[in-house]
Amino acid sequence: MTTIHVIKRDGTAVPYDGYEIARSIETAARGLDDSMARAVQIQSELEITLFDRMTTEQLDEAVIQVALQNVKEDPAFDTIAARLAVKGLYKRVFGATDDLFGDGSPDTIVALHRSRFDSYIHAGVSAGLLDARLAGTFRLDELAAALDPRRDDLLHYIGVATMRTRYLLTTAPNAAGARHPIEVPQFFWMRVAMGLSLNEADPSTAAIDFYHRMSRLEYLAAGSTLVNAGTAHPQLSNCFVMQTEDDIEHIAKSVRDVMWLTKGTGGIGLSMTKLRSEGSPIHSNNTASTGPIPFMHTIDSTLRAISRGGKKFGALCFYMENWHLDFAQFLDLRQNSGDPYRRTRTANTAVWISDEFMKRVRDDSPWYLFDPLDTPDLVELYGSAFSARYAEYVALAEAGKMPRYTMVRAREQFRSILVSLQTTSHPWLTWKDTINTRALNDNTGTIHLSNLCTEICLPQDRDNVAVCNLASINLSRHLQGAGADAVIDWERLRDSTRAAVRQLDNLIDVTLSSVPESQTSNTANRAIGLGVMGFTDIVERCGHAYDSEPAYDLIDEVMEFISYHAIDASADLARDRGAYPNFAGSGWSKGLVPIDTLDALARDRDVAVEVPRTMRLDWDVLRAKVTGGVRNATLLAIAPTASIGLVAGTTPGLDPRFAQLFSRATSAGKFLEVNPNLVADLKKLGLWDEVKEDLLAAQGDVSCIDAIPGHLRDVYRTSFQLSPYAFINVAARAQKWIDQAISRNIYLADRSVQGMAALYLKAWEMGVKTTYYLHMMPRHTAEQSTVRVNKAEKIRPGNAESTTSRPARHGFGFSGATLRSAPASVTPVVVRPLLESSVSVGVEVGVADGAACPTDPQELLQCESCQ
Amino acid sequence: MTNPRILGTGIAEGLLLKPVTYPWALDLYNQAVANTWFPHEVQLGEDLADFARLTDEERHAVTHLMSYFNPNELLVNKALAFGVYPYVNAAECHLYLAKQMWEEANHCMAFEYVLETFPIDRKAAYASHITVPSMAAKEEFEVKFIRRMTEQTLDINTVEGKRDFVRNLVAYNVILEGIWFYSGFMVALSFRQRNLLRNFASLIDWIVRDESLHLNFGINLILTVLEENPEVASDEFAEEIRSMVLDAVEMEEAYNRDLLPNGILGLNADYINQYVKYLADRRLEELGFEPEYGVTNPAKWMATANDTLQLVNFFESINTSYEVDARSSH
Repeated sequence: MTTIHVIKRDGTAVPYDGYEIARSIETAARGLDDSMARAVQIQSELEITLFDRMTTEQLDEAVIQVALQNVKEDPAFDTIAARLAVKGLYKRVFGATDDLFGDGSPDTIVALHRSRFDSYIHAGVSAGLLDARLAGTFRLDELAAALDPRRDDLLHYIGVATMRTRYLLTTAPNAAGARHPIEVPQFFWMRVAMGLSLNEADPSTAAIDFYHRMSRLEYLAAGSTLVNAGTAHPQLSNCFVMQTEDDIEHIAKSVRDVMWLTKGTGGIGLSMTKLRSEGSPIHSNNTASTGPIPFMHTIDSTLRAISRGGKKFGALCFYMENWHLDFAQFLDLRQNSGDPYRRTRTANTAVWISDEFMKRVRDDSPWYLFDPLDTPDLVELYGSAFSARYAEYVALAEAGKMPRYTMVRAREQFRSILVSLQTTSHPWLTWKDTINTRALNDNTGTIHLSNLCTEICLPQDRDNVAVCNLASINLSRHLQGAGADAVIDWERLRDSTRAAVRQLDNLIDVTLSSVPESQTSNTANRAIGLGVMGFTDIVERCGHAYDSEPAYDLIDEVMEFISYHAIDASADLARDRGAYPNFAGSGWSKGLVPIDTLDALARDRDVAVEVPRTMRLDWDVLRAKVTGGVRNATLLAIAPTASIGLVAGTTPGLDPRFAQLFSRATSAGKFLEVNPNLVADLKKLGLWDEVKEDLLAAQGDVSCIDAIPGHLRDVYRTSFQLSPYAFINVAARAQKWIDQAISRNIYLADRSVQGMAALYLKAWEMGVKTTYYLHMMPRHTAEQSTVRVNKAEKIRPGNAESTTSRPARHGFGFSGATLRSAPASVTPVVVRPLLESSVSVGVEVGVADGAACPTDPQELLQCESCQ
Repeated sequence: MTNPRILGTGIAEGLLLKPVTYPWALDLYNQAVANTWFPHEVQLGEDLADFARLTDEERHAVTHLMSYFNPNELLVNKALAFGVYPYVNAAECHLYLAKQMWEEANHCMAFEYVLETFPIDRKAAYASHITVPSMAAKEEFEVKFIRRMTEQTLDINTVEGKRDFVRNLVAYNVILEGIWFYSGFMVALSFRQRNLLRNFASLIDWIVRDESLHLNFGINLILTVLEENPEVASDEFAEEIRSMVLDAVEMEEAYNRDLLPNGILGLNADYINQYVKYLADRRLEELGFEPEYGVTNPAKWMATANDTLQLVNFFESINTSYEVDARSSH
């Protein structure tokens, strides 16, 4: 190969220096097993990708990419890539050093952090990027002394990449359009902590406390807060909930508000139920309405036009009740074909379902759809009151006194919803009566919808755009020990909970809303939603299977504890700072806590809520305490944590492992993820090297790898092997304690719509308030590239007993001229027609179907019983 | 029971689907229908910003790929229409081929969609398959096999006719789709590993998913023809087929040197060509040959890009795993 030159930042060309690269990789691999061998491997794989006159930045990135492509071999490569990426941030923020990778000495790094912090704050303020108060409000030297860059080692590569693309504050774009970070990870954590301490009596002490907790990844604020806290644009709230009124002025205002809220980086829930249906009369000009669908398309387009916080496109979920006359068209919004003006490519959809509908599905009764113009009070009603009024409208319809309505079988509509859910993952199913009947904030109106991620339960009206402010506790940072010795560090969990509630409450006083109606609502209700992430992570480390009673008990106990201390902290804050303005008349003011509303729900709907009622803590003390005031209208909600979970390096929310090895596609790129808990357990047994290739071939499913012991195969069952009822059980046990809701992802391997119907009915019966995305297991995936594939060689499990037979030959294989070891006799394989058989075999990967002979000639060649 | 014959000429045959003789073909048809997608499901706005930031050689590579893929998707359709469909008897195979032909059209439209969205010199891009010698050579190699059917008479009842059928299948299915396209897919997907052109990569994900089925069908068809007609695969013919694959690798090497005259981050022509040889070995083995090159896969990152189930943050990326046609029972 010709000499490779590298172009340095100053434009000079130097010959590629393998020694320097090697030293840099070794530094990044320090402390890991086999660090030398890994460094050599990375270097040799790097060198086949080089080309002449590549820049030092390209070289840095190439090293990281090469390290990453080996993560399937060992998670240690992820650590190397993460360290190299962090080092890249150091270089970018602290300036170029004398070699390609900078000085890696930990002491130098600490010193740089401490000495540069002050200038980072002042330069950021001067540039108009940081909140001017950051420079004057804090004892910056004290804050600088608290910075601990060793915590950067907690980050996985995907965490660094997510931080880099989503959260780190950047310069304005240069001539080439590139934005460069102006903060390293520890500056970032401190900036967020400072931004959430501005209203404190002693801001520096508070900021240092929040900093330590977030930088240790014990809890994280939600996305919008991480992006904007401490900056010149402190729009810190995460979720906005609004409803479009049935008049053209308000439709136009909704479009406007969506644009403003999107610009400020919030996710939006938007109910369209009130809009009169297509063909409904408009009296002002004697014409007919086009219904809600075209307006949803209009709003959908604006989401693409306004980028969220300048970093990603807008996100919104439309809600509609399923008695709306245009509901069938609503179901089609996410279809990939049809009139594009009646589709929403970007916006999500969710259906707001009543108990009345679920009972009619159960009883196989008819279901009536109305024009909201004729039934304007239905949106305001819930539970038994809704049922009663609905029955009156049904009677009117049957008596021929309702101008416009249609009737379908409730089961037929339910089936349509589920078919749409399976093929487009929309609409998400949410249950309005479970939400409203259990609400403790029921003194400020009906809850008309949930939010973008289905975990928020807040009322809104024309004058109030409901707002929620989120943070999530990282459970994996609150578990000590492993296996039978694993214990939750309850004291730390309590402290994290209390600090997170205080931080969220501060947020409300600091945040600026882009829409006046949201400012009003935020101030009057001070709603927050504290959740968790890392549930599966701790279940695995305790040695439980996700779908086991111990796992269900664990989430029950953990959520009871967090709920208890969050409420207690909010009640303490109320004593200090005052109750939220709308407190009087709330469920809290009557001494109710979330668990108390379960029985009210069962009574109102007359269907038992099938969930155990065990209580471990002294709730009576808290019941008495909350009557004296709480600081926040709501306290708990489990968000998806799809992005902050990556920074925290744990499993998002309550999600199971998608697979033990899989790729994750985000706005920061596509990343391979291998479960470090599984790798650690297999390494302990000396099995990892033996099975890692099989794990990739099986696409991260351990259930079919015989070399892995049975109990590990139980613990490490993945999303599509678990019974889907496990997701319902975990959610139901957590939901008991949560005043808002849970972004409950569902994973399904079975495509039977009847099976889905039973599952979602069960979720409703168990008191699950909302469900979120449905992930279907793909039946067919593309041919694998890095696994040895010969479709003709696939041994089917049913034929295991005949492994001693000669290998099958096929295609041109009989031709002696082309084989190094020609067989003695030539027996062409005959394809046996299976006329009588309708079994479906073929393209699925790893389907165990030993009973039937394969019909695919590439597989048939291996089936001894056919030959 | 009469021996089934997948090859034939009679138009009277193949008008009834049932009974199904080749269930694998029907399975592939059903899966192909479930895989239906449309280019407009992907929005390219973010990719436009990426495209502006690419280096000159990166932009050249993307343009080169598009210039090759766009006409060649349609070339595959010609090979199917003139060289496969008329000589296959089974209705289930006709169903699959009809869906595959729509998919090739859809792929062409997907590349058109990108060509029309990106600031690419379209005139030059459309001309490349003629003006760039390494591209023209690949095209001429393919076209010569279709000519056997279009400009001459092929009697499928003769051994030589059947061999022409197999030659054409190997040329377009194993070589063009199974080696040449796959090497291009790897290059296209490499941009996403650097967080560039993510939405373009989503289109490629879908195309690869389709192509995996095409390849499955084509190789099954070849194996079935050889099994039903043992006289076809003489030593001499086997050697000829093997040589075709080796020649194809050489043509691809020249093409890739034009694709990346110097290199881009993570890739150079030698690297891609090692991947081509790795693919060629795989296809040789699937046809029953011994591998020729014995090289390793340099693109280990394809495990992330292609080999694993993907979990999508659906606010940030398009989910390419969905399937249409949910059924209420099965």
